[in-house]
Amino acid sequence: MVPSEEARKLVLSFADDELCVGQNHSWWIAIGPFLEEDLAFTSIAQDELGHARALYSLLTDDIDHLAYGRNHSEYRSAHIAEFLCHDWSSALVRHVLHDMAEQIRWSALTNSSWTALGETAQRALAEENFHIQHGLSLLRRLLSSDEGQKRLEPIVLSLAPYGREYFADCDEGLIDDGLLTISMADQERMWVDQVLETFDDFNISVDMGEETQSSGRSGIRSDDFATLHDEMTAVIQIDPNAQW
Amino acid sequence: MTITQSDLETVRSAVASVKDPEYPDLTIEQLGILENVVADASSIRVDLVPTILGCPALSTIEQDVKAAARRLGHEVAVQFCRSPVWTPDRITKDAQHILANEYTIAITPRLGRTQCPVCGGRSLEKRSDVGPTACRSVHWCAECRNPVEVVRSREAPVQ
Repeated sequence: MVPSEEARKLVLSFADDELCVGQNHSWWIAIGPFLEEDLAFTSIAQDELGHARALYSLLTDDIDHLAYGRNHSEYRSAHIAEFLCHDWSSALVRHVLHDMAEQIRWSALTNSSWTALGETAQRALAEENFHIQHGLSLLRRLLSSDEGQKRLEPIVLSLAPYGREYFADCDEGLIDDGLLTISMADQERMWVDQVLETFDDFNISVDMGEETQSSGRSGIRSDDFATLHDEMTAVIQIDPNAQW
Repeated sequence: MTITQSDLETVRSAVASVKDPEYPDLTIEQLGILENVVADASSIRVDLVPTILGCPALSTIEQDVKAAARRLGHEVAVQFCRSPVWTPDRITKDAQHILANEYTIAITPRLGRTQCPVCGGRSLEKRSDVGPTACRSVHWCAECRNPVEVVRSREAPVQ
């Protein structure tokens, strides 16, 4: 089948989310709070970048150009994926919110009528299981202490509403085409329920707001994006023809 | 150039003997990364199954495969398959022995408990989900008290 323009847009914004989160996770290489966490974040970063590569490869043969060579306004990442989160607590909370969303987003694609996308989703979902297990078990342990609760609660309250943007894509025609098996609105509801339930266990009641508060999907970048993009393109800026 | 059956066989055996960049004692065939070598009248394609999508060694393996074919005068295309999904049981028995004996690395069996590559005991305790690479977790053998790495199965948690 020839994927529709809407289908390609959905894949592009998913890929951009994965690229930004993968790049952001890699910030913790060698400076994670303890060795196992350092290794876990590094591995998860590697997985997310691998997933970005797999998604971009569905759209182009020139992956480097698509990943690194666009103007900022041509990226479609959700702002929550772009945030630098150079504080460990924020990085952990974003990791959990992102991976909860990913589980749902990949699940909605595993039976896609776009066969290559469906196979990529099955493959990615198998790799994702440990991400959410890892993030949630650590977050729950930290939230079980007064100190952890005090530090994490304000971050959860401020970051969680941004996660709604993961589901801000237009899905017009995609359900009818069999490209997507769960509508974006249903995916968002599933994610919101899961987030509310997770934090409710720790008496944190998250206010998700009325609607998505950021507009990364329409081409507006967060304040952090320029720094993130400079970092991910540092090598290619020095030598545009570098081979790696 | 027309591809003959014998060309295909020769290229297949050259490609099958390409070493894995991470385990230079083992070939990509032994590790279950080589899925297929196929040809039509004028071109040859090598299908590889990546252990994980984010494996940083993929482009090295691709270049090594192309170089192995080129030494025989053939240009091949390399394709990374989305399906089937690589699992540790694609590693041959011989290669599993080499991983255990030379690298102290065990694999997760489909059924039953993972065996310690040092003492053969079945009392491994997980210490870290990931180890030096994303595809290996770190365990501790309660019997011989050695640290052990286990090739993870992305589909099932390590027992």
